[in-house]
Amino acid sequence: MNKVFEKIALIPGLTAAAFVADGGELVGWCANSVISPANLCFIAETCRSVLSANRAEQREAHTGIVAFGSNTLIFRQGETGLFVAYLDSPVDDAVLDWFFGQVNPLLQEEGIRLG
Amino acid sequence: MLRQALILSTQREYAQTMRSSLLQVNEKMLVNIETDALRAMQLAPQQYDLILLDALLDVMDGLQLLQFIKNQSPTTKFVVVSDTSEESARAVAYQSGADFFIERPHSPETLHLAVEAIKALFKSGQVSGALPQDIGEPPASLADIVQTHCLSGDSILLMVRGSQQSGDIFIYRGDVYHAQYPGCGGENAFRDMIRWDNGRVRIKTVKLQQAPPRTIEISYRQLIGTMERPEDVVPEVEQVSGDLFTVASKVSPDTSALAVMKEAPPREEPLPASRIFFPDPAFSPRGNTPLPQVNSHWRISLSGDLMEGTQVAEPDRCAFITAFIYRKMADVAVALEVEYFNTMTLLGPHLQQVLVADNVGVRHAVFDVPWTNEAKRTQYVTWCCEQSL
Repeated sequence: MNKVFEKIALIPGLTAAAFVADGGELVGWCANSVISPANLCFIAETCRSVLSANRAEQREAHTGIVAFGSNTLIFRQGETGLFVAYLDSPVDDAVLDWFFGQVNPLLQEEGIRLG
Repeated sequence: MLRQALILSTQREYAQTMRSSLLQVNEKMLVNIETDALRAMQLAPQQYDLILLDALLDVMDGLQLLQFIKNQSPTTKFVVVSDTSEESARAVAYQSGADFFIERPHSPETLHLAVEAIKALFKSGQVSGALPQDIGEPPASLADIVQTHCLSGDSILLMVRGSQQSGDIFIYRGDVYHAQYPGCGGENAFRDMIRWDNGRVRIKTVKLQQAPPRTIEISYRQLIGTMERPEDVVPEVEQVSGDLFTVASKVSPDTSALAVMKEAPPREEPLPASRIFFPDPAFSPRGNTPLPQVNSHWRISLSGDLMEGTQVAEPDRCAFITAFIYRKMADVAVALEVEYFNTMTLLGPHLQQVLVADNVGVRHAVFDVPWTNEAKRTQYVTWCCEQSL
């Protein structure tokens, strides 16, 4: 898993990324020194609670894109956990597709499928 | 024990320096910085063992803020940082609930002294620790707290933080309506959370204005009662080395039927037609968007009150979910040390949602997937920005 996230870390614009299993375990991660693994776990759990609350309201969502100024947090629910990534650029649909086009094959090497 | 701290200051340079010094005390400590007092009011202070806040903030008096959040988190230690050392300022800070008062350090020596004083706070035991057990008094268990609020007929949100994870319990008019933590919702979540750390968890309470989503139909007495009744625990006998050991079953008969409920489930009852309005005349007509593709749209204030909306089914729930998402993203912003989010897009199989936040509130729109695309979402964001102006 570490090698997968080493490759994910090379994606242009990526500041941090993590995959957190449904049980809360940090399965894999990469980040610059600013964001700690504990913070990535916390962020993933928080995003998961947002998706869970939306599901309870019959507004099911699998992917979130949150713009914090010019930075963007992306999260996507997978079969076994939640993937989060923090990018240093705005993200539109084309960038989103491109990004997951990079990430999905890498995660699938470890048997992780995102929704 | 000092594990998590918040520095609330408009002076970012000082805040960064203070954080570096605190991390030298304990490099595993999590130290967040918040520069906006209004946003700080959205945070859950109970998650912090220490909050360092300026006596004077840009938009409000730091001591007023102290009084506000001290009520929510009486076990957190509050250190007031002032630009003056006048005795009157010190006295007012202590009267407002500060556990300690320091003059803002401007040199490495004074910074070192300040950090040593903060360390001493946690060593001396003069002030209660972050967890109830630190103060040497028998803490009330989470079950007791839930029971108390239910008996009082309260409508509150309990934000529960255990040593491993955190979750929410929603009590509305004296009944437990919903519980959730990452990966689990409903009764299962409630039962799990009651057992976290033997009930010795950190709790923040937030008053609920609207009815939350309801996933728990049985009364709190049944909920808590079934957990305590010994007949619900089906013993399983294992024989090991000739001795008999009684091991409690992991799944009680009452909960086995709910084992499939891994997440907060969707409500099954259809929405009553009488609660759908197009739009509610009570709201401002300015809430009409010029976008025909918007399925529904509403705006809340930062305090969670519904301000306006169009085609909003169940306004209370809509306002609640928007406020919930906003609060959660506020926590994320603090963890990332960035300003609060501008826009948020949630993509689902049937619906897409867009939230646009500014300094006065949050707008929330729901789009039907077949009739929307990025251009239309962008058009909505642009419209929201125009309304803000």
